[in-house]
Amino acid sequence: MSESRTPSIEVRNVSKWFGSVVAVNDVSFQVQPGITGLLGPNGAGKSTILHMITGKSSASEGEVTVLGQQARDNPELYRSVGVMSEHEAVYAFYTGREFVEFAARLHSLDPTDEAVDRAIGLVGLEDAQQRKLGTYSRGMKQRMRLAAALVHDPQVLILDEPLNGTDPRQRLEFHDAMTKLAEQGKTILISSHILEEVETLASTILLMVSGKLAAAGDFRAIREKLDEQAYKVRVVTDSPRRMAAALVGVDDIDSVSIGGEGELTVLSRNVGTLQRSIPRLAQENGIRLMRVEPLDDSLESIFSYVVDR
Amino acid sequence: MGTIFGLSIRQLTGKWRILLILFLAALPVGLAVIVNLTVSGDATFNEDFTNILLDGMLVAGILPIVTMALATSAFGNELEDKTLGYLVLMPVARWRIVLPKVLASLVICGPLLVVSGVVATLLGFDGEIRPAIAVAVSLTAGVFAYATIFTWAGLITTRALPFALVYVLLWEGVTSSFIPGVDYLSVRGYTLAIMSGLDESSFPALEDRVIELPAAIGGAVVVTVLFLLLGVRRLRRMDVP
Repeated sequence: MSESRTPSIEVRNVSKWFGSVVAVNDVSFQVQPGITGLLGPNGAGKSTILHMITGKSSASEGEVTVLGQQARDNPELYRSVGVMSEHEAVYAFYTGREFVEFAARLHSLDPTDEAVDRAIGLVGLEDAQQRKLGTYSRGMKQRMRLAAALVHDPQVLILDEPLNGTDPRQRLEFHDAMTKLAEQGKTILISSHILEEVETLASTILLMVSGKLAAAGDFRAIREKLDEQAYKVRVVTDSPRRMAAALVGVDDIDSVSIGGEGELTVLSRNVGTLQRSIPRLAQENGIRLMRVEPLDDSLESIFSYVVDR
Repeated sequence: MGTIFGLSIRQLTGKWRILLILFLAALPVGLAVIVNLTVSGDATFNEDFTNILLDGMLVAGILPIVTMALATSAFGNELEDKTLGYLVLMPVARWRIVLPKVLASLVICGPLLVVSGVVATLLGFDGEIRPAIAVAVSLTAGVFAYATIFTWAGLITTRALPFALVYVLLWEGVTSSFIPGVDYLSVRGYTLAIMSGLDESSFPALEDRVIELPAAIGGAVVVTVLFLLLGVRRLRRMDVP
């Protein structure tokens, strides 16, 4: 992550404990404009960190600032910050439009109609806005909650599990909306357990495990830094045993295993060796290569690796 | 503030809650009708009416219970439903969140309780205006004080209703009966003292057991302001779920 610009969000040596339970342990990071994903298994401390960033709770130690201001006990900050918390409860007696108008009025927007129309349009719920929220599906409630968080056009958007209950089409629309906002220079921090969505959306990842920041940055850069973990590649050929025998003799190849349907799983700490050896050996031995596929070039594998480490 | 006030009114005026409050508010009136028809000529009627209906039923019972039912829910429901975030994550000063919540409780239960007390008093005192006014003013003071205490209670504990009941029954009910001076720290004490102080001649039964009128007025004001400030302080410092 670049630290040359003033960060939109800065978390400095932050810890939070509840009695004897340490939920967040000496975490520091900065969030710049663009989309940042906050990932981690249940109990990692993601929501606790987000609560401190949004000012809903205080840090036991350390400091949290948003747009250069303290996050806690600073209601004026919310003029520039939009928050969608992980709780999905809404005021069921409001219509969708009334709910967004409610948010607009609390932001002192005047007139409210234009901002409300724009926010509801962003989430694509124009047709349902006059219905009571109590009649909405889970995904619709999420979208209307997002509209309420966006109605005042905040500079910083903090979203905790925004994709809960949404279908693939809605996720795509969400992806497009977030990308457009990021292109406008907004800062968006998304906490999600849907790894593939964060992978395609976020340019920067913050990975929390057991209350600590386990990794931060572009996910491929994170992966490359984990050089003690061997790269894993699946190789499918028309002659798996001959291919395996050829690979075993190569330095830097850690292991070769033959799985079902003749698939080889090859481990090596040197990705360059893998990239050069496989096609060369296939050609030298007259073996037809049908597929070569990295098995851990994904956020999920990094997530699993870091969590299990 | 109007936005949050409107939200709170909607949250607190559920059908069953309103029906319960109406029923409770009607009880003193109903009882006043019955006693007026049956025993109004008795020599001890005035004393019994004051002690049993006005104090025992209305001030000690219905006033705190009705206020409690509303005021503890003002924030209690938001915390339970986890919707408080929609208020605190807004550029709204905390007092502009607490005050409309308190006012919403007042606006719903205050007029009902005051009307109930006034009508019951008019029935019990043969239509005399002065005791009715004394009852109206004293109940208003009591509603204000209870509303701020119980709204604060809704912020500090998820068990605000039992907390409020313990306060009313143990502190104001039992303790004040045995320990002199507790009435100086009791909303019930302030309410009865204001009632008696504004019309001593109508409430001789209260004369010997209530605190001084200035102390009662001062106490009611201090308690109201103090618990309003405590509620604001609590909202500023608490971790919001």
